[in-house]
Amino acid sequence: MMKKGLAAFLAALLGFAVIVGIATFLLRREYHAPYRAPAAVTQETPRAQGIADEKAEVEKRDKEKPYQEVEYRQFPKIGSRVAVWIAAQLHLLFAAFVLAVPLFALAIEFIGYRTKDRRYDRLAHEFTKLLSVSFSLTATFGAMLTFGLIILYPKFTTYLVSVFSPTFLPYVGLFFFEAFFLYTYYYGWGKFSPRVHLALGLGLNVVGTGIMLIANAWLTFMTSPSGISEKGALISTWDAVRNYTWMPINVHRIIANVAFGGSVAAAYAAFKFLGAKTDEERAHYDWMGYIGNFVAICAFLPLPFAGYYLAKEIYAYSQTLGLTMMGGAFSWLFIIQAVLIGNLFLAANYYLWLGMGRISGAEQFQKYIKYLLILVATCFAVWATPRSIISTVSEVRAMGGSAHPALQFLGVMSAKNTAVNILILTTFLSFLLYRRSGKTPTVSWAKAGNRAQLAIFLVAATIVISLGILGYFVEARVRIGFSIPQVLSVLFTMVSVTVIDVFLYRNATKTGEVRWGQIAPISQYVLIFIAVTFTWLMGLMGYVRSGLRQHWHVYGVIRDTSVDAFTPTLGFATRIVSVCVLLFFLLISFVFWLASLTGKKDWEPRPEKAAETERPGLEPVGAAE
Amino acid sequence: MKVPVSLRIAALAVATTGFYTYVGQLVPQKEVHPPAEVAISKDMKPDEMAKVGREIMEGKGLCFTCHTIGKKGPLRFPDLEGVDVRAKSRVPGFSDVDYFAQSIYQPSAFIVPGFNPGMPVINKPPIGLTDDEILAVIAYLQTLGGKTTVTMQTKLPYQAGGNGQAAAGTVAPPPAGPTGGPAATTAAAPAPQNAGKKPETPQNPNPSPPQ
Ligand code: HEC
Ligand code: HEM
Repeated sequence: MMKKGLAAFLAALLGFAVIVGIATFLLRREYHAPYRAPAAVTQETPRAQGIADEKAEVEKRDKEKPYQEVEYRQFPKIGSRVAVWIAAQLHLLFAAFVLAVPLFALAIEFIGYRTKDRRYDRLAHEFTKLLSVSFSLTATFGAMLTFGLIILYPKFTTYLVSVFSPTFLPYVGLFFFEAFFLYTYYYGWGKFSPRVHLALGLGLNVVGTGIMLIANAWLTFMTSPSGISEKGALISTWDAVRNYTWMPINVHRIIANVAFGGSVAAAYAAFKFLGAKTDEERAHYDWMGYIGNFVAICAFLPLPFAGYYLAKEIYAYSQTLGLTMMGGAFSWLFIIQAVLIGNLFLAANYYLWLGMGRISGAEQFQKYIKYLLILVATCFAVWATPRSIISTVSEVRAMGGSAHPALQFLGVMSAKNTAVNILILTTFLSFLLYRRSGKTPTVSWAKAGNRAQLAIFLVAATIVISLGILGYFVEARVRIGFSIPQVLSVLFTMVSVTVIDVFLYRNATKTGEVRWGQIAPISQYVLIFIAVTFTWLMGLMGYVRSGLRQHWHVYGVIRDTSVDAFTPTLGFATRIVSVCVLLFFLLISFVFWLASLTGKKDWEPRPEKAAETERPGLEPVGAAE
Repeated sequence: MKVPVSLRIAALAVATTGFYTYVGQLVPQKEVHPPAEVAISKDMKPDEMAKVGREIMEGKGLCFTCHTIGKKGPLRFPDLEGVDVRAKSRVPGFSDVDYFAQSIYQPSAFIVPGFNPGMPVINKPPIGLTDDEILAVIAYLQTLGGKTTVTMQTKLPYQAGGNGQAAAGTVAPPPAGPTGGPAATTAAAPAPQNAGKKPETPQNPNPSPPQ
């Protein structure tokens, strides 16, 4: 078992390096009494007397030392900002994962319970396997973040405590229950009646959401404080909790968490698929990846709407803040966001199309795909370009400054809104085609139903596109209003077409089987790509959320006077985001590896020679076999 | 030789991350620093005041996040070119200085026709200009279509106690801050409510020194 030996050696090496690092750090900080050269004059005093005097003086000085409150402490090398940033981001990523997985695990378990299909139950169980280690990691990074804040930003932390102290006890209480539910849900799998077990899962989700709501109160307060006096004194903690951005962040996060959790779970399945040795395993993990990705995309589609709601509330709280976000230093960040989201749409569609390969009888739909591909690519281009035509902030100033924010958010936004709405419609269409592959409807009104669906699609697309074009010819104020009918028509389409589809394909005859596992392996890399992109998007958007405050710890209330008060360049921010993402994947692959251990055979001593020949060729990430 | 799956996945993750980092380096790189304080002295002449006022409007005042000077077309915020001429007739009985002062200290008291409310109270955080800085800004606004008449000695009804001081420390509201009631909602005369109170910093509720 050379690999095993190698991994153990590497782990030991890493551990050793960490310990050496910590030790050198501690030693460097250790207090060394300064060495004093005995000068000629001091010779007069006897040595013992001199030492005693010196000691007495030090003691006296120590006794009289006044207590000084520190505002900031510096984290060595990377600085306090980056240290807290990384801890917070990793904490958030694991927390998002730990909150999201139970949401859809419960849903899948419930489907299994209703349909009596054991496969769903097993799948839900497999998803929860990823939870317990992630839960510990969440708590670890949470503790790191808390200590980081207390040590590095003591004054600001004290202020937050003064506002939010009543929320801490409930938080801790909920955390306890979270652990209780999580472990009983996981270890109690199959040990209780299904209803009791489902109730445990429900408890887990309720408590987890509660935790998130409390934590969101703290961080949204920093962006849009309320419930305090002009001088920052607390008036009402409850008002501080339900500040302007609290609800929109709650909504945006829950949805984004599910999308993220689904994509990471799909990446797990992909990793297992690629390492699978039997067709049975491949079929299972193909299916698991499909479900994970399905969850991710379902949550992904409404996200832009939640994003606009969030942006709207930020504007409502403070136009200045809103303009900083969409028109100022951060406007370029939204170009990067567009690239990421465009990639997500492309990859999601691509995966679905590859998926048709596993369905016999899907050929009839595959011919449409190249048109959809063209559509997606065009929308992506529209979304990512117009804003980037204007190249620098100063150029924009020269062009007449203030119209720029309007342009950004609502002007050129007209084209962008249109593009993103069409992207959503297209992805939805891909899903629909996928769903239909290999099935033929039997209901009498099949033709009419199809026509109705097509009509709804066309009407929605016409509304979206014509409003988008009209947007160029009307005033900004009218244009703002346009996004609402656009969004509503897309939402209406998704709901009504789905409803029709469900009835249309009731009792449909199966003309082709889904051959799970028979999908091009590249599809699995697409799943991993989606997960990495999602994680990166989380990191980027987490940065906007907190970077938006610029030189404020609490916007307009507690000013940042530290060395890190400036807002770094986007280049710097994206590098930190990347570091966080890579660290996250390093840790999550460890979690994956641990989760895959349960399926392994127990260790048995065996003769050296035999082990050599048994070495498997392909092994998934981190699998130190 | 076949590349192991684990390596491929790792390479994919690194390449994807790398690509996004690269995109991040392509966009304009700008570091935004907290606004610099512009030095203000009590004996500036009108044209010096206007010059300083312009600097404040570009920097700490954040005025040009929203406003333009000399831009036509459908705008979201009033253009400020020639604003002094309009300022003289916006509110009956108000001189241009009175009107500018009101626009700045109580922006919601009068809404420019055709626009939505949305101008922040300028002497409150997050912008938090001091009374002296605001005088300088008014001096510049007057040059847009008129002549500067304010001096550093001009008393505005909204000023508290007179001498504006820069906000010190980490807690923002400047000592000179409390004027005009909460968020200036009505056109009522400014009632400096807690003008006498000494500015307090929100702190640890019981700061017991360790022994
Ligand atoms: C968040 C955007 C925003 C910022 C920042 C802002 N304003 Fe305004 N301003 C407005 C809006 C909106 C109006 C019109 C509504 C109103 O009258 O309150 C306005 C109106 C005005 C007017 C009246 C114009 C007229 O034609 O009568 C003046 C003068 C003015 N602002 C000056 C300033 C100055 C000086 C600053 C910087 C210290 C500033 N504004 C910062 C949004 C802003
Ligand atoms: C286009 C309009 C959108 C705006 C203005 C917007 C804005 C924001 C902001 C300000 C945040 C920070 C909040 C936080 O850290 O919790 C955020 C978070 C996030 N956004 Fe958006 N968003 C938009 C659309 C989207 C879309 C289309 C996606 C699709 C994937 C998305 C995914 C995310 C994710 C994953 C987070 C991180 C959530 C978290 O921190 O828990 N957003 N968004």
